[in-house]
Parts: sequence; structure tokens; C-alpha cells
Amino acid sequence: MKRTFAQLSLMAGKIQPNHIRLALAVLALALFVIGAGAPESGGSVGE
Amino acid sequence: MILLTAVAGGLLAGLLRAKIRGRRMTSPNLRFLWLVVTAFILQLLAFNLPLTRTKLPDQAASVSLILSQFMLLVFAWSNRRQYGFRALIVGLALNLLVVVANGGWMPISPETVRRLILFAPAKSWFVGQRFGFGKDVVLPVTETRLWFLSDCLLLPRWFPYRVAFSIGDALIALGAFHALWASAGPEKESTRGSHPQEIKL
Repeated sequence: MKRTFAQLSLMAGKIQPNHIRLALAVLALALFVIGAGAPESGGSVGE
Repeated sequence: MILLTAVAGGLLAGLLRAKIRGRRMTSPNLRFLWLVVTAFILQLLAFNLPLTRTKLPDQAASVSLILSQFMLLVFAWSNRRQYGFRALIVGLALNLLVVVANGGWMPISPETVRRLILFAPAKSWFVGQRFGFGKDVVLPVTETRLWFLSDCLLLPRWFPYRVAFSIGDALIALGAFHALWASAGPEKESTRGSHPQEIKL
């Protein structure tokens, strides 16, 4: 338990606000391509 | 989902490039992120969530598609100075153009549908109607405006995943890949693209 907490604290120390900013940018791009694109795989046909 | 591979591929390539060059990973300063989230929620309700997409009339889904893509276009235009966003803008504009020109849906020809789904259940799709719960409508090429911008391209037969896509989709994939590739820093120092937030990974 103590070890896990220590590991988490170390990890939290490594995560900078800029890492979160980069993660947000990647997420925004992922949502963008889903919304902007219109590829069709036929997955919803016959449902 | 095929477009997400461009995002994943771009991120991996960017990380690898940053590591090889010993550069810092940079994060683009994206403006109006709320537009992307709102557009995504609109499309989630219209095309993805089974509970809502079955109850929403086709006309409302079509309006959701146009409205959300217009919001995404505003977002992309607001961030046009970022790397990759020019390709994203052109790709999205081409998709939006063909959608608006064909009654609010992305056209796909019956020939492409037959090549896409080899063993489709009987009466699972009809010419002139929406294709499943997706963004496409099945239209013959002769009745399609700007057919060359429609979902007329297919991946090679040897590829394990079958998907029909448009020129706009290809540009969007290219733009997303470039945006993340460029996060590893530009080839040369230039004034284009503002990636001021450097992140050492």
C-alpha cells in the first residue's frame, strides 16, 4: 500500500501541466478526426 | 475508427522522432477546444449511441452532421497556424461541401457498398436511403453531386479492414498525423506553427 502510494507520488511529480496539455491536444485531434471524417465500414448496417 | 489510426500513428511517430533527435516534445496551443467537444457530443447522439440514434429522425441527424462539421471547421480555422491544420481544414471543407451538396449526407455508390460488404443481409440497404446509422447515403454515381469527393475510395483487398473513404478523409488523416509528427519540433526553426510548450519525455 505504502509502496503504491509512493509510486503514485513519484509519478505525479513527473506529470507536468504541459503533459496534460499535450494529452488534451491528442484527445482534441482524436475527437476532431472522428467528427470531421466520414469513412464507412458498414458496421451499423443491418442493426 | 480508421482515422484514429492516423492519430495513434502520428503520436507514436512524434514520440519516436523526439527521442531520436533528443528534442523536446511540444504541445500545440489549441484554441476553442469546447467546439470540438460540443461537435463530438452532437455526433455521438446522432450516430453512435444506440438509445438516441434510433429515435432521432434522419433529418435531425443530417442537421447534426452539418452543424457539428461547421463547428469543427471554425475550430480548425481558429488554429490554422498550427502544423497540419491546413490539411485538416481542406479535408473537412471537402467533406462538408459534398455533404451539403447531397442533402446533408456523405454519398456512397451501390457499387462501393457491394465491394465494402460482400455478404450483406438481404434488404439491409437501399439505393436513395441512409446507409445504416452512419453518415452516408447510398446514391448512384449519376445522381451524386461532386461524386469524386464522396466515399468512393477503398483500401486494397489485401488489407484486413474494409472501409470506404473520401479524399477529404485522407487529407484529415494526413493533417492529424502531421500535427502530431510536428510536435517533436520543426525541421528548421521557423515562425510557422506555434508550439511554445516544450515537454521533455
